Amino acid sequence: MKQPPLTTPSKIDVPIAECHSAANGTKIYAIDCPEYEVVRLSFVFHAGTITQHHPFTASATANMLAEGTAALTSQQVAERLDYYGSYFDINIDRDYSYITFCSLSKFFMQTAEVIEQVILHPTFPTEEVATYAAKRKQQLAIERRKVETIAREKFANAIFGKNHPYGVSYSEVDYDALSRENIAEHYNRCYTAENCIVVCSGNINPEVLARIESIASELHSASNTQTISLPEFETIHDVRHQHDGAVQSSIRMGRLLFPRTHEDFIPMQVLSTVLGGYFGSRLMQNLREQHGYTYGAFCAMVNFQHTGYLALATQVGTEVTENALQQIALEIERLQNDKVSEQELALVKNIMAGEMMRILDGPFGIADVTTENILCGFDNSHIQYNLERIRSTTPEELRDLAQRYLAAEDLVKVVVGDFS
Amino acid sequence: MITYKKTTLSNGLSVIANRDKTSRMAAVNILYKVGARNENPTRTGLAHLFEHLMFRGTHEVPDFDTPIQMACGENNAFTNNDYTDFYITLPIANIETALWLESDRMTGLDLSEEACKIEKRVVIEEFRQRYLNQPYGDANMLLRALAYKQHPYRWATIGLTPEHIEQASLEEIHNFYRTFYHPSNAILSFSGDMAEEEFFALAEKWFGGIDDHKHDIPQISAEPTQNEARRQIVERDVPATTITIAFKMGNRLSRDFFLGDITSDILAGGDSARLYEHLIKNKRLFASVNAYITGDVDCGLFIFTGQLLPTTSEEEAEQAFWSEIADLQQSNISAYELEKVKNKFEANTLFGELNVMNKAMNLGYYEMIGDLSLINREVEIYRSLSADDIADFATRVFRQENSSTLIYRARR
Repeated sequence: MKQPPLTTPSKIDVPIAECHSAANGTKIYAIDCPEYEVVRLSFVFHAGTITQHHPFTASATANMLAEGTAALTSQQVAERLDYYGSYFDINIDRDYSYITFCSLSKFFMQTAEVIEQVILHPTFPTEEVATYAAKRKQQLAIERRKVETIAREKFANAIFGKNHPYGVSYSEVDYDALSRENIAEHYNRCYTAENCIVVCSGNINPEVLARIESIASELHSASNTQTISLPEFETIHDVRHQHDGAVQSSIRMGRLLFPRTHEDFIPMQVLSTVLGGYFGSRLMQNLREQHGYTYGAFCAMVNFQHTGYLALATQVGTEVTENALQQIALEIERLQNDKVSEQELALVKNIMAGEMMRILDGPFGIADVTTENILCGFDNSHIQYNLERIRSTTPEELRDLAQRYLAAEDLVKVVVGDFS
Repeated sequence: MITYKKTTLSNGLSVIANRDKTSRMAAVNILYKVGARNENPTRTGLAHLFEHLMFRGTHEVPDFDTPIQMACGENNAFTNNDYTDFYITLPIANIETALWLESDRMTGLDLSEEACKIEKRVVIEEFRQRYLNQPYGDANMLLRALAYKQHPYRWATIGLTPEHIEQASLEEIHNFYRTFYHPSNAILSFSGDMAEEEFFALAEKWFGGIDDHKHDIPQISAEPTQNEARRQIVERDVPATTITIAFKMGNRLSRDFFLGDITSDILAGGDSARLYEHLIKNKRLFASVNAYITGDVDCGLFIFTGQLLPTTSEEEAEQAFWSEIADLQQSNISAYELEKVKNKFEANTLFGELNVMNKAMNLGYYEMIGDLSLINREVEIYRSLSADDIADFATRVFRQENSSTLIYRARR
């Protein structure tokens, strides 16, 4: 039968987050979706790995908030959350830590008792630190048996410099030195009112909001504001790392660019989507569909607070590693020499619009996008701007960007595999 | 609670719809009742290879992905031992694009020698990436082979070996398509903001004209009762030893499925659960530990697994699992603990209903297992289980003669 007609959305409706200030100045952004009987509450602290003074303290602090508090043992925290069917997630990146709680609306008040303890009164008991460190040390050792983990770490080392806070990786042995004192120091310095934004979504009625405000207003103030001075980046361009017995090589390529606030960020997102951002992308067509070198290949723009980069990644059969590298180089050259067809570009634009619609369908995704916008200094009207900026990208612009930003000599190339 | 309506087209296709007024997206799911369980032991991995081939284009639509993506949609698929599932989410205004493509590839696939050759290579790379080039990548395969001797659950969806995939002939692939891909072996399900009858009319429009051609589906060998403790030790280049103990348990529709599930929640559902508290926090024997059920349609497995800390001996670790089991068998479960896992199950069920994709997928799944209404009855079934029921389950299932133990030893 014939293909049905298509509609392309020109607009995405997103509620603007209502901004409230707690008594101590902490900003609370609320997205009220009363049709969902759930509450999702995130505390975002400027407490990512670049803010740590000792290896692994930033992630340990975030991950151990619930491992014992002034009023509750770690077991009691876990018991109470489980009893009400509530849960929390911890995420940490280079810049921020994200502590997110979810509960059914009918159990929010009971859950809030626990949230208050976890966010405001963690104690980081010494024996819990020891358990945590032993566990993580072993996990990291296992992760580092994987070529993709090694490649990810080597890539960060190469692109930012191996001692740069954005690029550094630590030996798993450093977990042995993880101490309660260092974690507590990190908490006191970074988990402050000045360093925090709160984002909530779901059924945010006035009682729920008041309860959230009461928690946020108790965040302590920093004795002095922290300033982070980042050293210069020291990029190296070519890294090969031998991993005995690997049946696949992990390849990572990319380059340092700019954060999401830069005017070229969105068009570079379009370009990276053309190259490796979807199932039918150039890299997938070439490496997977035409050659069968790989199960998957990806490319994306990655945003940090102070910079951003483009990265592509794939794992290919050991015996075809050199061919794959050659094909990747050819695909990048194609972007520099030939304009993307209008048809392919239209496809990529619709994929990106569809992706935005999917993320924004429901209160949890809206909250995530809102958080990302706030951290970049935007409000949710920026979503419409992004959509229009994607739509206005032209084939000429993409070719010019590929020439300007993806020159072979500027790219960082990391390969981890068995070269013997 | 998921509201739904169901109909069956004259060609045998089951159609189920849920109206979700809050979403602007539509989720379309099509499930084929074929999985690795339907494979011949000498040609394993075929169901999964075939799932890949379903994206290779048809005579009508040579490229499956492009029209979906032009419609701002996203699609993917997975295969497991029991079934193969394809799903699409897209703006509801474009729902007919999804139905057009799914109805087209139900019969029109262009299975060329060339397409099969490339897809086999992709699947073999997947085999390497996920099973051979990963620490512990083969553990699950070893466990299946130990626990099952006859039933096709003895191999993983990816297959027994890459050679089976490599050697699959074009004729075998065509036969597989004819045998398993037709309306009466499929379930179409939907969630989105559209009246159920309206969706049924669209299903009729796009699928009603497809002829059914029933094929005899070969019987699956039943697994004989296990009467001996089984044990396998392998040594690999991994940083830590893991110990896994698997017990055979009932099928998906048996009461034992729910008892197994709630027992696994008591042991490992959340950070306050027993195994984490006792074996990681208090005794510090393991770096990670888990208990779960495989939840297969036929007789499934209840699995205990843990990764040892360097200071723990294998005997200590194994003994720790057996003493947790002894505890359950003596019915040491408080009313509070039982209430907790029941509440958690109820909350997770509700969280799962926030998303159209989950709902469409679940509707298809429950229809496949043969009891669609179960989708809204499970919370109630959980509520009815008692501490004594769990003790009885633990006594019947967690026996040495019903166990398969895999020691995956780190080479020193």
